[in-house]
Amino acid sequence: MSIEALNISKRFGQFAALEGVNLEINRGELVALLGPSGSGKTTLLRVIAGLEFPDSGTIRFNGKDISDRTARERQVGFVFQHYALFRHMTVFENIAFGLKVRPRSSRPSREKIRAKVQELLRLIQLETLAQRYPSQLSGGQRQRVALARALAVEPSVLLLDEPFGALDAKVRLELRRWLRQLHDEIHITSVFVTHDQEEALEVADRVVVMNQGRIEQVGAPDEVYNHPASPFVYNFLGNVNLFHGRVDDGKTYIQETATGQVLYVRPHLLEIARLPNGGSHFRARIKQINSAGPLVKVEAIAEWGDSVRVEMPQERFQNLQLVKNEEVFIIPKDVKVFAKREPA
Amino acid sequence: MATTFTIRNLGLPVSRRAAAATSEQAWIRWLLIGTAVVFLAVFLFMPLAVVFTSALAKGVSVYFSALREPDALAAIRLTLIAAGIAVPLNLVFGIAAAWAIGKFDFFGKSFLTTLIDLPFSVSPVVSGLIYVLIFGLQGLLGPWLAAHDIKVIFAVPGIVLATTFVTFPFIARELIPLVEAQGNEEEEAALTLGASGWQTFYRVTLPNIKWGLLYGVILCNARAMGEFGAVSVVSGHIRGRTNTMPLHIEILYNEYQFAPAFAVASLLALLALATLFAKTAVEWKSRQHAKELARMGEAA
Amino acid sequence: MRLNFKQQSILPGFGLALGFTVLYLSLIVLIPLSATFLKASTLTWQQFWHIVTAPRAIASYRLSFGASAIAAGINLFFGLIVAWVLVRYEFPAKKLFDSLVDLPFALPTAVAGIALTAIYSRNGWLGQYFDRIGIHSAYSPLGVVIALTFTGLPFVVRTVQPVLEDLDKEMEEAAASLGADRWQTITRVLVPAIMPAALTGFTMAFARAVGEYGSVVFISGNMPMRTEITPLLIITKLEQYDYAGATAIAVVMLVVSFAMLLSINLLQAWSGGRTRAKAAAAIVAPAFSEA
Repeated sequence: MSIEALNISKRFGQFAALEGVNLEINRGELVALLGPSGSGKTTLLRVIAGLEFPDSGTIRFNGKDISDRTARERQVGFVFQHYALFRHMTVFENIAFGLKVRPRSSRPSREKIRAKVQELLRLIQLETLAQRYPSQLSGGQRQRVALARALAVEPSVLLLDEPFGALDAKVRLELRRWLRQLHDEIHITSVFVTHDQEEALEVADRVVVMNQGRIEQVGAPDEVYNHPASPFVYNFLGNVNLFHGRVDDGKTYIQETATGQVLYVRPHLLEIARLPNGGSHFRARIKQINSAGPLVKVEAIAEWGDSVRVEMPQERFQNLQLVKNEEVFIIPKDVKVFAKREPA
Repeated sequence: MATTFTIRNLGLPVSRRAAAATSEQAWIRWLLIGTAVVFLAVFLFMPLAVVFTSALAKGVSVYFSALREPDALAAIRLTLIAAGIAVPLNLVFGIAAAWAIGKFDFFGKSFLTTLIDLPFSVSPVVSGLIYVLIFGLQGLLGPWLAAHDIKVIFAVPGIVLATTFVTFPFIARELIPLVEAQGNEEEEAALTLGASGWQTFYRVTLPNIKWGLLYGVILCNARAMGEFGAVSVVSGHIRGRTNTMPLHIEILYNEYQFAPAFAVASLLALLALATLFAKTAVEWKSRQHAKELARMGEAA
Repeated sequence: MRLNFKQQSILPGFGLALGFTVLYLSLIVLIPLSATFLKASTLTWQQFWHIVTAPRAIASYRLSFGASAIAAGINLFFGLIVAWVLVRYEFPAKKLFDSLVDLPFALPTAVAGIALTAIYSRNGWLGQYFDRIGIHSAYSPLGVVIALTFTGLPFVVRTVQPVLEDLDKEMEEAAASLGADRWQTITRVLVPAIMPAALTGFTMAFARAVGEYGSVVFISGNMPMRTEITPLLIITKLEQYDYAGATAIAVVMLVVSFAMLLSINLLQAWSGGRTRAKAAAAIVAPAFSEA
């Protein structure tokens, strides 16, 4: 099912959570709403689910205006950040809930419910824990039960609020791969909220970057990462060095404050060299070297006194044999230019 | 006893001064414990003990005949009727108030919560009086009621009303903080899964608050059955007709029938003990529940 | 209903639940209470003043408020000890004592009244010893204090107990590590922490005692000017069909109890959110509000 959000605005008292948001999500897509806290991403998700009513704007499912429908009538699957499992029910009862509360006329038989729940338990690999209570499960297990419970009612849309937010790093990695696989199997239109750019970039088909109640950019992961539409997006999707300067005819001029432009360069797009290469470059002195991990992180002090971060592969670092306090040249390989006013 | 103190002195190289600053010397400890125990014994154990010994002072047969006497049975019946109406009324109210106040944010919410507490701060005698002023012969509705031959004061309706007033906040104030603490997420989950409002309440909210609910009902019932001042004002003390158990006790006592008075009193004392027992059990149960939630929080 | 009156929520049933709450509250509590003030307004100010300042009324206030203050004071002192002992020490039958603290909430006041009278009357378990040294413990103001001490006993214990439980032992250890001795630790660290809760408990015990009737009437002897508490004076006036007089005194009591309800709320606001919820719940539901 496709989802359209048209001109959605929502205020909480003085706080504008959403300001005129427009978004289209295609059938079968897996979309991430990415942004810092307070950016409105969770509110947008809840508006789509019908858990929150917008002050203005329209929500359409498959082109049909469903703005006035309640959460119950929208038949979306919603996975809550803290799972909201029914704590007095077993795993089995939790998953069966949505089927059991259907009106008698459309309620499946007891056997059918059982079969459906068993099937979902297999899907989430928790067949043996059906009779456990939520308090007896680990965080990752609860997360999967919450997902199975939402899927049990065969929703046409799956909405997940910070689905991995409450998990520790390792479980989080496993689960997000699992979610991606699951989506590839069942192809249900899915939207998930996250503040973790890595998670969004790794799992989603498309990423919606949000900031202060507005959408900054929508695009495929490599698109938003490599072609950020605004300084905010550039900044939010990874570490960045800021320089005053300008780019003319493919040549980068750094430390020209009068231009009114800011240059954004990711640490791995700066190259350290012992000799100037004839192109754009500036001098710097090595201050710190951290060589733990696949990337070596180098902090250098530029000739005008600002600190600059550079990242390079271990191999390159071994070749260079950098030492502390050494004078080097830094060469920007790819620079993104934005007008100065935005602080990002 | 004195576990912290001894463990410190035996095992850990903590300086004397530090130990002395975080716990008391043994004689002070035992002095405090002794004071507390004597105080509680005199003010709590002794009254309980005197009820049962006085009730049985004239022998078991006097005890049971006092309870089988028609007036006593009538008093017990009326007490059960009054509690049987007041408790369910306040239960429905408590649930409605908890749902409105605990689940929603609206203007004047804390003022409303304070108003619900009002009956606690009103003297029982005044609680009775306010109904006399409305329904009594000289009251606002008195002439109209008399003309239609409806008796509220010095009759069962008045007793039920006074009992309801006095026990009004019990269940509500038990449930409101509980419902508030649960949050709305489980209910929202139920709604997105297609449950109706009633199904959500019945299958999700109610099971989560059942212990608090039970506790509130127990407390409300204890007070409803034991209320004296308010009921005394509206009852008229008609033997066999408008006497509740506490009023019956008063009459027997004033007639110097001490053993029968204490016999009826012992029933209410047993009710009080059962209430305390149930309270302890429910508290234990809810603590388990809280621990479970805490565990859920940790694992998450 | 898209007014600002209520924050939007998708949960159903707000109108029904709030409507019923307000209706029932009005029918059972608000309208009857206002009837008292309506009735009192039929008196002129002079009449009203004459009734509420009559010597017998003044004597009853003095007894009711005086005895309530003394009883609440006794409960403050012993309540702090009991709470401390229950939280910090281990001793035999501690659990039993702990659960029995709530007895005055659960035991009907009439039962408490006759039981206390039996204990403190001239040939009672304790009364005989008081009598031997020439003290009348029953049928005297002392009897009123005893009864009110009983009814108010749980309040201080149950408001202070959760605060003491929450107090980190580490705080005391920190004070000790900074060089404070036990007395300094108690007066500078513990007392300020439990003060608001203790005061709340004191005020609750006092408020409850002022209105108390059942446990007092048996033991007090009910002699006008000497052992007649204010609630009893209302009943006496009612029995003499002096409705105006009873109402006037009742208005005085209502005003006092509203003032006390307000001060309890203020005290709880002062003692802060966490203790507040607990202390409020402690009236009927000691230490239960955590769930």
